[in-house]
Amino acid sequence: MRIKLTSIMVDDQEKALRFYTNLLGFERKHDIPAGEYRWITVVSPEGPDDLELSLEPNANPAGKTFQQALFAQGIPATAFESSQIDAECARLKEKGVVFTREPMDAGPVRMAIFSDTCGNLIQLHQKKG
Amino acid sequence: MLLRDHVRIRLCQARDMLASVDLPMHVDDLAREVNMSPFHFIRQFQSVFGVTPHQFRIASRLEHAKLLLARGTYSVTDVCMEVGFSSLGSFSALFAQRVGESPSAYRRRMHAMVSVPGRIPAVLTPGCLSLLAQLPPDAFSSFREASPSRL
Repeated sequence: MRIKLTSIMVDDQEKALRFYTNLLGFERKHDIPAGEYRWITVVSPEGPDDLELSLEPNANPAGKTFQQALFAQGIPATAFESSQIDAECARLKEKGVVFTREPMDAGPVRMAIFSDTCGNLIQLHQKKG
Repeated sequence: MLLRDHVRIRLCQARDMLASVDLPMHVDDLAREVNMSPFHFIRQFQSVFGVTPHQFRIASRLEHAKLLLARGTYSVTDVCMEVGFSSLGSFSALFAQRVGESPSAYRRRMHAMVSVPGRIPAVLTPGCLSLLAQLPPDAFSSFREASPSRL
């Protein structure tokens, strides 16, 4: 048994695909029509055979309520790791990404938080040392 | 851009008001409600949520319309009015453009799937795994894997 797939709810799959590929730099792994929606997954170019991230529509009212509450409370929906967090954040800010936390030291990691424009806050972190 | 906590909370309040069909506020009034100038409000909202307040409101209304249509207890005209559109023609045209079929066709198709009255059909609550389950058995082997150049 292994962990191969995780998901994040997004308010618009096409908008999310643009953000997660064009801005974050992930690569589209699957993009298959599934009824009114699409089965979309992205992977990191630094680990294309690692975990796939599914961009899941937030059309379920229960899911949307949870997603909106997390955002309002300032809680990230998920986290990604970076090996160069300061440079990564500078690059994203240059492209217009909005941060709610600038890169800061937090215990064993350095972390920052930004909006993915699809209803989520995303934490980026780098292990220290 | 760094978004301060109090601004994020105000934007979330505005987002919730935009999604409410009971509070059809003008964007200028909404900006005033969250203590921002209209220009600053629209710019901040779009930076954080990826769409303008107007686009967000239209999308929310259409999502609400889909749920009401699927329940089958409202006519298309009733749904149009209920979600805040004043013109049936513009509602139907916009719905068809975004959803891919007319409100009446959508209502017929969705209502046929409702097995328990009052319950939202599963097709309207798609999740990561339910979408995966809808794919044909050979989906991953037969479907051309996407390349970034298609974006």
